[in-house]
Amino acid sequence: MDIATLDHICQLSKLNFNEEEQRSMLAQMTDIIDLMDTIKEYDITYDDTKDHNEIRYDDLRKDVPEPSFPTEKLQQNTSPRDNCYVVPKMME
Amino acid sequence: MDLKNITAAKLRKMLDGKEISAKEAASEFLAEIKKNDGKVLSYITVTEDEALKNAEAAQKRIDAGNAAPLTGIPLAIKDNLCTDGIKTTCSSKMLSDFVPPYNATAVEKLIAQDYVILGKASMDEFAMGGSTQTSAFAKTKNPYNTECVPGGSSGGSAAAVSAGFCAAALGSDTGGSIRQPSSFCGVTGLKPTYGRVSRYGLVAFASSLDQIGPIARSAEDCGMILNAIAGVDPKDATSKNVPFTDFNEKLGQSVSGMKIAIPKEFYGDAVDDEVKTAVMNAAHEYEKMGASLVDCSISTLKYAVQAYYLISSAEAASNLSRYDGIKYGLRGEGHSFDEMIRDSRNRGFGDEVKRRILLGNYALSSGYYDAYYRKALALKQQIIAEYNAVFEKADVILTPTAPSVAYKIGVQDNDPVKMYTADICTVTVNIAGLPAINTTCGYDKDGMPIGMSLVGKRFDEATIIQAADAFERTFTPVRCTL
Repeated sequence: MDIATLDHICQLSKLNFNEEEQRSMLAQMTDIIDLMDTIKEYDITYDDTKDHNEIRYDDLRKDVPEPSFPTEKLQQNTSPRDNCYVVPKMME
Repeated sequence: MDLKNITAAKLRKMLDGKEISAKEAASEFLAEIKKNDGKVLSYITVTEDEALKNAEAAQKRIDAGNAAPLTGIPLAIKDNLCTDGIKTTCSSKMLSDFVPPYNATAVEKLIAQDYVILGKASMDEFAMGGSTQTSAFAKTKNPYNTECVPGGSSGGSAAAVSAGFCAAALGSDTGGSIRQPSSFCGVTGLKPTYGRVSRYGLVAFASSLDQIGPIARSAEDCGMILNAIAGVDPKDATSKNVPFTDFNEKLGQSVSGMKIAIPKEFYGDAVDDEVKTAVMNAAHEYEKMGASLVDCSISTLKYAVQAYYLISSAEAASNLSRYDGIKYGLRGEGHSFDEMIRDSRNRGFGDEVKRRILLGNYALSSGYYDAYYRKALALKQQIIAEYNAVFEKADVILTPTAPSVAYKIGVQDNDPVKMYTADICTVTVNIAGLPAINTTCGYDKDGMPIGMSLVGKRFDEATIIQAADAFERTFTPVRCTL
């Protein structure tokens, strides 16, 4: 893995690293990808039709509205205002 | 009264026989936690008030003569299972103050039996790790030797059972997270078939692999707890409606005639000699009981760790994308949404979680998806096919649970590859969705426990519980002393 790839993956992952962290993470990710690369030796192709997809639509519960949790309970882990989640004012 | 080494089944008899009250049992475990958990750090949160309240309700039910199997039994719950009104941190700074608004279905089922919650057990952060050293709050130690890791990710649950800080515990297993810490801590741990236990309320790591299960002091106790938590759940579309009566229905039945497969790849150079010897001694013990050993092969084992890490990390990258600091969790700072979300995640997640997210997004990203993720899915199909073939000629499969006994704290800290490859003995079971149980089969020269795994056919937990129980009846465990 090179720095450009790591930057791209960090962008996808919504993560940042400073220079020192980036150096360390790059070395570790390179080792990890080297290990993952050995999977390429195995000659096999994924067959979608053979996948054991066992969730059938008739297994799913009926799509009917039911009473939900009280709003204040769902918002107990934040500081809501007027039943809304509050985020900092910001311009992008 | 010393309850440290008592099984839940024995405690059930004592509670029903009025030899002890539910409050006395809860108080005994709470006192033990206060006295000794400082040496082990198995709990993140101890719920003393809840425990005593639960014990009171349990006693009323016992006195009324309608106790369920787990009424009044004090349990620890892994800290990634949602508990209404009780902090559930996943051992992560991201969720350090998170209080769930609902219970996981497995927890709800325990409540229906009036169990007693002693607290929330430590774990690797978001269940990612095999040592419980990635916990942001309690880096649990092994009760057999506090210089060693307890295994992970359910290391807090396994250590709490081993040290006598609860009668049993719930853990979760994505790649060995119930079985490996059970092996390291000398206790019994059962990973049920995928779909046997609802995952509703289990904080998601890798949804196609995660499964909740018990950690206890005997196979019988594991069956007793599985009886309580198993079953289809409309809130989890992947839970299965496969009827069961009693997972302990085969307890005490002879294993004579049982065919036990020994896959040669699990006994290679990657596994320590002392471990191989102990597991093969157990295999010969089964032969003495009338079982027969069958040679077999799982040739894909060589690529199993890679397939597991690619699939689980891809799912983890997706599941953990919800942590943006908006609705709950650590809130970061920044001048834009992107900056705020990145700051939340940078400060909230530890290094191992970040590595898994990066690996998952790498494997799923354009240009790499076919080479890594689809290849891993192809291997998954092959692993399932190989296990199906083995089960055409065997009833159970016997393997080591881990390549080694518990190792010293710090040994694998900066070597993720070493840490990942140590999962070699457990990950295929999750990939194939099979049930497996760990039980202790010996001790190394330093007295550290060695575990073996019995793997069963899908939804045939009763047979592996029977086989584990048969061995436990012949084996004298050496309990830890703190």
